[in-house]
Amino acid sequence: MKTQHRRRSRERRLFRAARPLTAVAALTIAGLALAGCTGQGSGGGGGDETDASGKVTLDFWNGFTGPDGPALQKVIDDFNASQDGVEVTANIMPWDTLYQKVLTSVAGNDGPDIIAMSASRMPQFASQGLFEGLDDYYTDDAHDSAALATAAVDASVYDGVNYGVPVNFTPMMMYYNKDLFSAAGLDPEAPPTTWDELATMVPKLTVDENGDGKPEQYALAIADHETVPVMASLLWGTGGGITNAEGTESTLADPASIEALDFWVSLIRDQKATQIGMSGADADKLFQTEKAAIEIVGPWMTTGFDEAGLNYGLAKPPAGPSDEAVLADVVSMGLPAGTSDAKKEAAYEFFAYWNSVEGQTTWSDGSGFPPNRADVADKVTASPYPAIFGAEDVTSVSKTLLPGIAAGGPIMETIFNPSVQKALNGEGSVQDIFTAASAQVQAELDK
Amino acid sequence: MTTTSTAEPRVRAERPDTSPPRRRRMSVTGRRSLTAWLFLTPTLLILIAFTVYPMVQAAYLSFTDYNLIRAAQWVGLDNYVELLSDDAFWNAFGNTVLYAVVVTPVTVVLALAFALMLNQAFLGRAFARTAIFLPFIVSLGIIAIAWAFLLDPNIGLLSHWLSLVGIVPEQGWLSDPRYAMAAVMVVGVWKNVGFYMVIYLAGLQSIPVDMYEAARLDGAGVWQRFRNVTLPLLSNQTLLVSVLALIATLQAFDQIYVMTRGGPFFRTETLVMLVYRQGFQELRFGYASAISFVLVLFVFVLSMVQFGYLRRKQVTY
Repeated sequence: MKTQHRRRSRERRLFRAARPLTAVAALTIAGLALAGCTGQGSGGGGGDETDASGKVTLDFWNGFTGPDGPALQKVIDDFNASQDGVEVTANIMPWDTLYQKVLTSVAGNDGPDIIAMSASRMPQFASQGLFEGLDDYYTDDAHDSAALATAAVDASVYDGVNYGVPVNFTPMMMYYNKDLFSAAGLDPEAPPTTWDELATMVPKLTVDENGDGKPEQYALAIADHETVPVMASLLWGTGGGITNAEGTESTLADPASIEALDFWVSLIRDQKATQIGMSGADADKLFQTEKAAIEIVGPWMTTGFDEAGLNYGLAKPPAGPSDEAVLADVVSMGLPAGTSDAKKEAAYEFFAYWNSVEGQTTWSDGSGFPPNRADVADKVTASPYPAIFGAEDVTSVSKTLLPGIAAGGPIMETIFNPSVQKALNGEGSVQDIFTAASAQVQAELDK
Repeated sequence: MTTTSTAEPRVRAERPDTSPPRRRRMSVTGRRSLTAWLFLTPTLLILIAFTVYPMVQAAYLSFTDYNLIRAAQWVGLDNYVELLSDDAFWNAFGNTVLYAVVVTPVTVVLALAFALMLNQAFLGRAFARTAIFLPFIVSLGIIAIAWAFLLDPNIGLLSHWLSLVGIVPEQGWLSDPRYAMAAVMVVGVWKNVGFYMVIYLAGLQSIPVDMYEAARLDGAGVWQRFRNVTLPLLSNQTLLVSVLALIATLQAFDQIYVMTRGGPFFRTETLVMLVYRQGFQELRFGYASAISFVLVLFVFVLSMVQFGYLRRKQVTY
């Protein structure tokens, strides 16, 4: 008892001695904090305008980390060599890293000069004031914008203003494994063209050899998160969709949408058409390892499938009962709000080069992506895929998802995808789940 | 920096001053605390710059509408009011509490069990100690990726082994709403248990051997010795470990972010995950700050309750 008491009183004495200094420390903390609070909200592009040789330098952030990266670099190198006023440097990083970094870096005045991102994400960022309007790019005839695919140009329009210039415009196509088709007794040259045909093939293509309830092979590889929104595009097949064309009203609970969802949910759950709960990368892996017979995905996977030695065919995704459902993905380039005139002019030069006949031929040849303009299709000879993905009957029916809707990202990630997961896991009826989801979508649209 | 340069000469100047004993004694106390403060300065500066300042900043932001680009707009208590009726918040709150309520006691009990086991001498003890401690020092990101591979339904080793004994994961442990939370919990426990085990080991080794001898002479068996000697004398460690473990579980983020991203359908979304989603995905940094402040308050209150309760059980010897 005695020792304890003594220790406590010594502690108390030490604390008393420290008190004035504690006060000083507290004041310092408060002072620093107050100073910090006032320095809020500066923004806009920054950095040096020109390099040592007097060239305007442009830092171009994008997510072409795959085999398409070298093709992108080739176009940039060609552009840099074609003139001596502008120097573009590509900064390639994974897309999710780019989305995370871009806001903080632009806010910290240390951001990119050109930002590439999925056009479906652009309205959200544009509505927050990240991007500079680029309407004057399109009104300048020197840029030859009339040659570009309309859907590619329109994808980056938000609230009547165009905030981007297309990098690529890509329909998703159906890859199917010919060997697995043959093994299932199906004609490898006759992939399904309609939903009904697909439904009759699913029982043959989904194989549970040992009868343990987990198929060794699935008919389809469809992801429900972290992926291009193929699942959402399937709603178009019955004339449904997530919102109306204007993006003002949710149509997720409309009979047409429910019909499509019912069809796919029952195909996946009851017939085990695909493994549930896959991310985009999981689905790619499933198809690549020949554990799935069909995947609907973009041309960026072609090289990977070739390297895996797959014997695959390419076709237009099967059509729904009342409409074709072909999803197109557009990546656009935008400029941060507050970009200087000099940089803007330099960037426009690069955008025009990118979308020129020359630039697009190099890009499509190297990447396998279809060109953004129809008049170069016959010049693309190095790869057969741009012609298939860019075929008139495909591009004419393909659509982008939720174009120009600021809440598009949150709607997909926090409402649509989780609802699909719920339905696939049997956490309620399709009707109930998507009626509730529809109300949430409406709330997002009304914000 | 300025503190250091002005203070140091004063300390040195006082040293030759050996005159009246009374003044000298006071200056010793002053010098002592000054030395202490000098040693503390670098840490304090870092704490102020990277902890206190961001916290104050976040507190301010929680009363604003802020998207990182435009200047923050003052909205008063709006964010906090919105929280109360936000299903996503209550879902994340529930998940956080569930995670903490399961993971904290399991971690503490397992850490104690491992410590008791590894306090005995046996062949391979050093290896076992290392093996249990190792996950703690490996980056959680890497651990989570490794576990995601192990649990993959198609190529996962663990899934394969489980299928050999008839447990067949049809759609992957991490994407099945029934198992996803359990899977991230297992990884959470596995990751941290080694650290708490080391704290317990240190505690076990500081217990005087004569206490056990005395207990044995009094006829106490193994269980009684554990119950009446070990456990009470470890109460300091238990206090530390359970407070640390609770705070860590309430802040669970990294392994969940890498393993499930909060899915399937928000089943594993914790409060910190929600903060991240609201901030970096929905660009609502003010709202995200408000959520983090509710979490801060929650952690503070719980820690105080825990501290108060376990403090009373403490023994000094």
